[in-house]
Amino acid sequence: MSIESSVADRRFTVDRQALIASLRAVLPEQALLVEEEEMRPYECDGLTAYRQLPLIVALPADEAQVQAIVKVCHALKVPVVARGAATGLSGGATPHRDGVVVSLAKLKKIISVDPVSRTAVVQPGVRNLSVSEAAAPYALYYAPDPSSQIACTIGGNVAENAGGVHCLKYGLTVHNVMRVRGLTIDGEIVEFGNAALDAPGYDLLALMNGSEGLLAVITEVTVRLTPKPELAQVVIASFGDVRQAGDAVAGIIAAGIIPAGLEMMDRKAIHAVEPYVNAGYDMDAAAILLCESDGTPEEVAEEIGRMTAVLEQSGASGIRVSQDEAERLRFWAGRKAAFPAVGRMTPDYLCMDGTIPRKRLAEMLDAINRLSEKYALRCANVFHAGDGNLHPLIMYDANQPGELDRALAFGAAILELSVKFGGTITGEHGVGIEKVDVMAEQFSLAEIAAFHRLKAAFDEHGLLNPGKGVPTLARCREYTLARVGSATSPRS
Amino acid sequence: MQTNLADFIKDTPAGREADAILRSCVHCGFCTATCPTFQLLGDELDGPRGRIYLIKEMLEGQAVSQTTQLHLDRCLSCRACETTCPSGVRYHRLLEIGREVMEERVPRPLVVRATRFLLCEALPRRWIFRPAVAIGQLMRPLLPAALAEKVPLAAGGAARPWPRRAGHKRRMIALAGCVQPILTPNTNAATARVLDRLGIELIEAPAANCCGALRYHLHAQEKALDDMRQVIDAWWPDVESGRVEGFVMTASGCGEHVREYGKLLKDDPAYADKAARIAAMTRDACEVLAAEQEPLAALLRQAGADSGERVAFHSPCTLQHAQKIRGVVEALLTAAGYRLAPVADPHLCCGSAGTYSISQPVLAGQLRDNKLAAMNAASPALLVTANIGCQTHLQSGSKVPVRHWIELIDERLNVGA
Amino acid sequence: MEGLIENWIGRVADAASAGRSLAIRGGGSKAFYACPEQGEVLEVSGHRGIVAYEPTELVVTARAGTPLRELAAALAEKGQWLPFEPPHFGASATVGGMFAAGLSGPRRQAVGALRDYVLGVKVLNGSGEVLSFGGQVMKNVAGYDVARLFAGSLGTLGVVLEVSLKVLPLPVAEKSLRFSIDEAAALGKLNAWGGRPLPISASAWHQGVLTLRLSGAAAAVAAAQRHLGGEELAAGLATAFWESLREQTYAFFAGDAPLWRLSLPSVAPPQPLPGSTLIEWGGAQRWLREGDGRAIRVAAARAGGHATLFRADHALKASEGVFQPLPAPLLRIHRQLKRAFDPQGVFNRGRMYPGL
Ligand code: SF4
Ligand code: SF4
Repeated sequence: MSIESSVADRRFTVDRQALIASLRAVLPEQALLVEEEEMRPYECDGLTAYRQLPLIVALPADEAQVQAIVKVCHALKVPVVARGAATGLSGGATPHRDGVVVSLAKLKKIISVDPVSRTAVVQPGVRNLSVSEAAAPYALYYAPDPSSQIACTIGGNVAENAGGVHCLKYGLTVHNVMRVRGLTIDGEIVEFGNAALDAPGYDLLALMNGSEGLLAVITEVTVRLTPKPELAQVVIASFGDVRQAGDAVAGIIAAGIIPAGLEMMDRKAIHAVEPYVNAGYDMDAAAILLCESDGTPEEVAEEIGRMTAVLEQSGASGIRVSQDEAERLRFWAGRKAAFPAVGRMTPDYLCMDGTIPRKRLAEMLDAINRLSEKYALRCANVFHAGDGNLHPLIMYDANQPGELDRALAFGAAILELSVKFGGTITGEHGVGIEKVDVMAEQFSLAEIAAFHRLKAAFDEHGLLNPGKGVPTLARCREYTLARVGSATSPRS
Repeated sequence: MQTNLADFIKDTPAGREADAILRSCVHCGFCTATCPTFQLLGDELDGPRGRIYLIKEMLEGQAVSQTTQLHLDRCLSCRACETTCPSGVRYHRLLEIGREVMEERVPRPLVVRATRFLLCEALPRRWIFRPAVAIGQLMRPLLPAALAEKVPLAAGGAARPWPRRAGHKRRMIALAGCVQPILTPNTNAATARVLDRLGIELIEAPAANCCGALRYHLHAQEKALDDMRQVIDAWWPDVESGRVEGFVMTASGCGEHVREYGKLLKDDPAYADKAARIAAMTRDACEVLAAEQEPLAALLRQAGADSGERVAFHSPCTLQHAQKIRGVVEALLTAAGYRLAPVADPHLCCGSAGTYSISQPVLAGQLRDNKLAAMNAASPALLVTANIGCQTHLQSGSKVPVRHWIELIDERLNVGA
Repeated sequence: MEGLIENWIGRVADAASAGRSLAIRGGGSKAFYACPEQGEVLEVSGHRGIVAYEPTELVVTARAGTPLRELAAALAEKGQWLPFEPPHFGASATVGGMFAAGLSGPRRQAVGALRDYVLGVKVLNGSGEVLSFGGQVMKNVAGYDVARLFAGSLGTLGVVLEVSLKVLPLPVAEKSLRFSIDEAAALGKLNAWGGRPLPISASAWHQGVLTLRLSGAAAAVAAAQRHLGGEELAAGLATAFWESLREQTYAFFAGDAPLWRLSLPSVAPPQPLPGSTLIEWGGAQRWLREGDGRAIRVAAARAGGHATLFRADHALKASEGVFQPLPAPLLRIHRQLKRAFDPQGVFNRGRMYPGL
């Protein structure tokens, strides 16, 4: 990869042999990968545009082994990059050239599911979906459902403060996690939050959510389980014009409705998904909205009626309501498979994650279409419309010289616009390595400096996931300078 | 994913195919979640995305060693990853290409080669396999437990006779197969009886032996192609004369393979067309029955009895992932009055996977025990599956009998008979 | 407004160089809460007014000195509100005080706490810098979640200047039900109901009487009422009851006896502690009058929660400590965080823990 990246800095001087010897002393033989051949597959996560071979990969099987690794790394001042399922799209688990990748995939025990207190205690490598599966016999589930929920892990969800298609009503990870147990960089065990609804002192639990592995290594999580609603139904509305779909979103909220899910897909996204999932999406629509209602049957009937009225008023050309649970799941399956399904149309894509005020959705889509022409790259759009969280998928071919750079410039332009529209560069995927430079678009130098001081309160030497999340002040200055020279592309 | 294949393979047909497959993978990692070996081992290298990466590295010219070999060997070829993959990655093809290159690059120790040779020669040949099993079964009580488990038990019900030829107009051919007639002779007999009731005569062509899948997956491609040609030669006259309307597969492992004949023999001008024709005429037994839904329902009504017996069904990977036939056997069993016990993680492989239970005994054993635990969770009276390999593999660890589903339908139809 | 903040920046700088502490004060309605104020008062209620409110965006941004009543009225006009029902504890309550105290009312069990509705903040730190964190959109993971870190930090990290909050539509229908039931049985019921999709939005048990509030769509409330039974409370009485709980004007809270707040797992059994008790939040918040501080703290910790000396005189607060003591590694992180935002220890010194 040609991109000069912040995980290849040479701040750390590590004696690899000494590190291997120290780790061997505390870990079973097969828990360490040290040969290039076996480390290569760990060189990237869901963001393949950034790849970096790590110094070592460790595969601990329990908290004690994680602790032993962290202590060795702390003593030898070696970076630690925690990794769950590596489905992240911002490069949060991209290795550091002088660091140890600590895979938490083997810590995958569901320690307990308690239907009475409606909580589950799980290890960080437990998959999001398996928590809901384990809770299903009690008619409970874990509410946050990111699209990658089949594969992504709870540890990663906490690190990224993952959202999902139901978070307008049911909240993000931060709203559904009660306790996080983990290790500080010096290897001390700490617990943030507890089994009650609040904890004394600062809200460090909130701080852990979305901290991208920069503050602690997570070893256990208590999540809140939610009673399954008696009934859930989805309405799919087709629109001949993207603007109308955007207006319908604002219309629904204005009517005082908080749908359980409110998602939007444009034509390209529909065309990527439908042939594979057969979800029943309207292939002729310029955009579709998926609106979910849940609750008691009476409640759902009432809400579906009100939503349908708003959708019709906004000019929906077709409306379908799921008739049974199987159909509802099929309607959602298309949405959840949307990202990789775009992989059928293009060898590579970048998934953006800006969030903007809902009322500017249509304006944003217009702007994206113009940028798509400007950079000569296709773009499919999948939005968490209810939250104003956009996922434009910029399609490119990394084998074509120059396309990746164009894609990155296209992405950066979208993020700039998100900030300009009063939003943020990342709603749920995290800053990672991908958006670390663009942080300067959203935050002042003083704010970035405050982030660094906050980080130092946990990790004085900056060993946890260096190069991610927050840019160095020097990089911020460079970025700002470069921006003065170019109105649209920070990288050109 | 970005690729940069090395010169040695870049411009070959295999190289082009591999490149296209690699580029369709977006590295999302969804597939790792449903991969049986990743679930057991928790290492990226033991999941599909990691294996894809290992193959990519190899094809890009990076040095490979026993490490890559180990992780590719551990793959069951169960194709659960393909069912999960939203991006349509044809993993099994990439794996085949990867394994071929690997065989050239990384030599195997002599014992491994010798075992493979033996498997390759013995299994597909009834005249060797039959006495070997007979001796093994006789000796079973005397063998240490670990070895005894490896000797297949005669699973399934006692073989009852084929129906007397009733001179039906409709006729289909069943693959006699290599190991099935020895281990579970009742499977084809039961199929014949059920089809007979539906007005279809089932026959076997004795000269059609092994479908070729066994040797194909042991990297004996040429020998496998010979097996396939032998089957085609045995069947072709009946196709040409129009005497049969199709081929019924009672082992989903064979079914998957026969359905690939067209692709596998496409470069053999003498066989390409015949192979494609036969592949197109091939159905799994459950599809054949599903197509006769109404007469079957009438027969079941006639037979009357509805035992409500609780059974747990394991859908073989070759059925659900490779042939993508899902829910069909389940519907037939339910229609016949059996109650299906819920089975957790139904997408997971039981560990049989061709000769996997012999080459990777530890993983195969874990997968089998996990599968049996999942199937037995609701204490069913019977375990049921649709492939001879799964049936014997599961039976080797189970006190509860493991049967082929067609036997259950047969018994139900013959209740009143 | 700018002049006001300029002035504060100057005072922060003066205090920092002189090593003095500033006690941030808005409406003063929550001065009783937490450890006593120290140092010279920094009066901040002048920085007031709603900066932005877009009902269709479900977001409101208000300056910290905005009276809470004013905010509530503006939201009500558009059929919206702050669903976590923050206690005012007096007519002078401000948005900043609500945010810094981080307290939530009866509805917390159903809809989440104040921190769950925080989207962004603008603050003045101990180095005199004005910083913004979070934003005005529903989802935002750029940078650490400093906005939530500040919520409930009792002004120890900086002066809150502006807060952006998520707001929601008012519930369409509400009904309150009463049941005669003992403590253990009430806890059992509350937890069992909690596991079912019922529209219970608040609960209170005291002296053998359990009161439940149902909120939501009319159909859902009616269905739940049929299912749960109980005796319906007249609407006016019900509103007054829940408000008196929220504002602690209910009889249980009267008098000068110390008031303890136990935050426990909802499933914790009745605590073997003397004194009168009132249980809220489905069992997760339990109030206690009187009692031995040490025994209460031990019991709370053993049950998996913590205890706060919510109302008491200064002497008792000094001897018992207001908040449950932190384990050593957490206390260390707290000190370092305090230093990160307020290096000279200017703001609300000792308001949360001694030395913080
Ligand atoms: S074929 Fe089966 S074992 Fe092999 S990678 Fe795919 S899911 Fe895993
Ligand atoms: S699911 Fe498909 S696209 Fe995703 S990593 Fe696996 S093979 Fe690649």
